Amino acid sequence: MTTMRIEASAAEPIALSDCLCGESHSLKEICLFLSEYASWLLGSGATCIRLERNVNRMAKAMGCEAVMTILPRHIHLTVCLPDHSDSYTYITASRTMPISFDINTRLSELSWEIADSKISFDEAKEKFESIIHTPPANKNLVLLLASCANAAFCRLFTGDWQAVAVVFLSTIAGFYLKQVLCEHKMDMRLVFIICAFVSSVLGATDALFNLGTTPEIAVGTSVLYLVPGIPFLNSFSDMLAGHYICSFSRFIHAVILTCCLSFGLCGGMLLMNMGMF
Amino acid sequence: MISEFLQDAFFAAIAAIGFAAISNPPRRAYLYCAVIAAVGHSARFLMMQESLLGLHIVIASTLAALIVGMLAVLLSPVAHTPAETCLFPSLLPMIPGIYAYKTFGGLVMCLYHGSEEAFDHYFYLFVSNGLTCLFILLGMVIGATIPIFLFKNISFQATR
Repeated sequence: MTTMRIEASAAEPIALSDCLCGESHSLKEICLFLSEYASWLLGSGATCIRLERNVNRMAKAMGCEAVMTILPRHIHLTVCLPDHSDSYTYITASRTMPISFDINTRLSELSWEIADSKISFDEAKEKFESIIHTPPANKNLVLLLASCANAAFCRLFTGDWQAVAVVFLSTIAGFYLKQVLCEHKMDMRLVFIICAFVSSVLGATDALFNLGTTPEIAVGTSVLYLVPGIPFLNSFSDMLAGHYICSFSRFIHAVILTCCLSFGLCGGMLLMNMGMF
Repeated sequence: MISEFLQDAFFAAIAAIGFAAISNPPRRAYLYCAVIAAVGHSARFLMMQESLLGLHIVIASTLAALIVGMLAVLLSPVAHTPAETCLFPSLLPMIPGIYAYKTFGGLVMCLYHGSEEAFDHYFYLFVSNGLTCLFILLGMVIGATIPIFLFKNISFQATR
């Protein structure tokens, strides 16, 4: 991770902060831990208000105060003593990672364990390390569930059973391709265009072979697994909480991904000679 | 009507489980996501029926999101997860994905067709789909977020 440190008083003795549990730690140690924590929590898809609350809760338990600026790609965190006699500032890059509510939940649990003095600072650091090294969910299971979800979506949009089957298969192909391309670290925008193109071409087979009576619903819902729902929800949630810069950044990110998905879909529909409206 | 209502709830639950899986929640959250999504989506279905309330999709989505938000906040201490872990995946089946890409589709068609009449038609589709999408999203998030701010003590202490 790229990090940059701004140290106001490097030559002065390290200020110590007294935790609620009776331990003493340097402001530097606390600030580095909280910055890393904030970077992972933001990367896992938490809203800004949760990030602020969790970090402030832990800082208070460690006997200091924390103030944060949450920027689209960085977190600027300052930790100071309650009497403001010393402070430490750290700027860390926010992590780019797939959304994980599991990591979000476990990091929130960790913040309460620290706040309620259930674990020491060193134990908290160990637990944090184990949380961030949690292996991702089973890929095949996610592939199957996502395909079922998209097929169910097709049914919700009044698609017939032939359309449901076509959407299920086109989602399996598209989502599998997404997993493979993401493993190869391909640019996410390109991944969205390619997957939307493949899924829409396969979704159009319902019309091509006259399988059912709702081919337009099949092709329309075949790409819905790509809609960036969580970034959209997070952006509006941040907007309501007054975090306008982060909100705008998340909104633009979601809009760009939706543009890419629409671009791939339009390409697929033009290739299969299908109208969008 | 009852059969359609039950189907709506069932398929919304499956959609919520699948879309939740993409955002990698804790295993214990799946059941709550399914139940909350089923209640929320079927409530929107009922509110939009002409024979019942006949509400516009924006208002129905806002009210359904309010129900989803209330349930997510109240159930989050039971599930021992942050409220958003149950809330956001439960809202995903209501995300106006079709409107979102029809917006961009309309925009592309505007450029593709040169005649004034065709341009006006696709520009209308671009704006109407875009506005509907934007207001559904805004209504959903306002509806879902109100309970989080109303019951701050519950929603931010659920993982305690």
